[in-house]
Amino acid sequence: MLEAARQILRYRSLLWNLTVREIKARYRGSALGFLWSLANPLLLLAVYSLVFGFIFQQRIEGASPYPLFLICGLFPWIWISTSILEGTMSLIANAGLIRKSAFPAELLPVVSVLSNLVHFLLALPILAAALLVGRFLLGSDVGGLSFLLLPVVVVLQLPMIAGIALGLSALNVHFKDVRDLTINAMTLLFFLSPILYLLSALPEKLQLLIHLNPFTPFVLAYQEVLFHGMVPGPVRWLAMIGVSILLWALGASLFERLRDTLVEAA
Amino acid sequence: MSAPAKSRERGAERSSHGEPAIRVESLTKLYRRMAPGDRFRTLKSALLDGSLTSGLSQDKAITALRDVSFTVGRGEAFGVIGGNGSGKSTLLKIVAGILRPTSGETVADGRVAALIELGAGFHPEISGRENVYFNGSILGLGRREIDQRFDDIVAFSGLEDFIDEPVKNYSSGMYVRLGFAVAIHTDPDVLLVDEVLAVGDEAFAHRCIHRIEEFLASGRTLLFVSHGLDLVEALCDRVMWLDRGVGKLVGEPRRVVDAYRQAVAEEESRGHREEQERRLETRARDSNGTGETERWGSREAEIVAVRLIDAEGHETHLLESGRDAAVEIDVRAPAPLEDFVFGVAVNTPRGIEVWGTNTHLEGFAPRRLDGAATVRVRCPALRLAAGEYTLDVAVHAEDGAPYDYHRRALTFTVTARVRSVGLYNPEHRWEHDGGVEWKEGD
Repeated sequence: MLEAARQILRYRSLLWNLTVREIKARYRGSALGFLWSLANPLLLLAVYSLVFGFIFQQRIEGASPYPLFLICGLFPWIWISTSILEGTMSLIANAGLIRKSAFPAELLPVVSVLSNLVHFLLALPILAAALLVGRFLLGSDVGGLSFLLLPVVVVLQLPMIAGIALGLSALNVHFKDVRDLTINAMTLLFFLSPILYLLSALPEKLQLLIHLNPFTPFVLAYQEVLFHGMVPGPVRWLAMIGVSILLWALGASLFERLRDTLVEAA
Repeated sequence: MSAPAKSRERGAERSSHGEPAIRVESLTKLYRRMAPGDRFRTLKSALLDGSLTSGLSQDKAITALRDVSFTVGRGEAFGVIGGNGSGKSTLLKIVAGILRPTSGETVADGRVAALIELGAGFHPEISGRENVYFNGSILGLGRREIDQRFDDIVAFSGLEDFIDEPVKNYSSGMYVRLGFAVAIHTDPDVLLVDEVLAVGDEAFAHRCIHRIEEFLASGRTLLFVSHGLDLVEALCDRVMWLDRGVGKLVGEPRRVVDAYRQAVAEEESRGHREEQERRLETRARDSNGTGETERWGSREAEIVAVRLIDAEGHETHLLESGRDAAVEIDVRAPAPLEDFVFGVAVNTPRGIEVWGTNTHLEGFAPRRLDGAATVRVRCPALRLAAGEYTLDVAVHAEDGAPYDYHRRALTFTVTARVRSVGLYNPEHRWEHDGGVEWKEGD
């Protein structure tokens, strides 16, 4: 797992170029450009707000206004899940590159994570605007200076997402089933994360299950720093650090194990 | 692609001093066969020890390279030749660090650039300019280094007018030109080239070869894999012949290339012999019943055997242009004949008549043919150009009524030391008067 980290640091300028290329290529030749990256999050936000906020009239203490609560968990989740899905496919998608040149393959899943992080960052003004409207025009008690901790949470989560993407991308080269497994696992984990609902609104046994989801501490932290306007407690920080290190170590060492066989199987 | 003149000094002194630039030691590479049943076993061994081939029996693995060793000196041009599937590309990819060997090791000293597929990693949606920067950084150049070389790269590719177009609008030739331009400008110490020069147009191929010669002249090292035997011979100082993953012969280019050509020709000739045996079998079957199309006649005289004889007097299917050759026909006449003509004809496989003659045309007057006999046509110097030919032989009456007419009685290959075009290879030499100077060929 150290070897993968060393490679990534050594090729950081190539990593940067790859990420820039990825972002440029995605919007080249489209009239609305990066606005498209906002379309899906906003659509999901609208649908979930409509279904849970207005049709089911969900009124939970500590989660209103509901659309604002939703956006604070949903936007980070979209970064997480698209990073992992794209990262899983990244080695197959760039098979030409790793088969035909001496290319550090570990960069590719990380590029997926970083380019999707850029999309997340580009969507932040919408999130910020929504919170400002809620706080100052609607007079809700949302947000606060704690948003300054957002970069810390993001940086803490990077190793976790990169590790998962690395491990799954290497496995996916050998077994195409991994892609379908990942898609379904991410859907399941979305509903097992307290994004659509407040964790405290669940029965205790169910809460335990939600806590087993490694993404849960991060989702809660995003909601705390963005929506609740509070600084996460020490347990939360420890959970995030622990989960992130553990999943990086697992993913990166799996990648290194499969490293020698990637090129011929891709 | 015509072969360039080797203008550089070829010799031991360029390749002998100092540490080798490339060292390959008992390199072996196995690939796993993709049998569906082995997937889970391979996953297990891949997860446990990172190998796709361990835990597989020999018949589940394909040997791409077996115990290959060689060194390439600094400043040397080393060629690798061999048939498809001989392991040439695998070897190059291992030296380039793209594939890992199953056992053995390779060391390449200095900056290595591999031209395996030019423009691998170009992104179709972004411009040529952006791709130059991106491709350059894959090949290990920093931004400033690319800035410095950018104009040279574009000038070499000849794509000044298109450099800001997305590369998806490029033709495949333009793609290759930009790819080669970037790769050669990375200023490598060791250049690995795999058959990429065949893609561009002739003019660009010449420019690439010229550039590679400059590269060699500046004392750097080339490992060159190609099917273009003339190019390999012209460009390289030493050549290795890989035969099904085994290094069969290493040495002086002319010698290795000739040995390889000889082996290929023998392989083809073996094919001819098998074909002929098959044909004889068919004929044997055909003769007791349905008529055959390749042989006909009254059999008042019967051709029993046809042989091709080379300069050493051995039976063969492989002749060398310019050397002695003969056709021998064994014939048997059950009852005495006083009217007979022997004929031979050489054709190309596509049916073009190359040469034909018979004893009647050449003024022989038949007296008597009785029992077993052998007739021989000898050419003191065979003047056929290199290629494949078929031979027809016949015995017939003077009015043309066939006794035994054998179409394609055998197939043979002619090789030539010096290549030429066409079917005829007369003895010739070049002479000159006045203001012509040249170093004569051999």
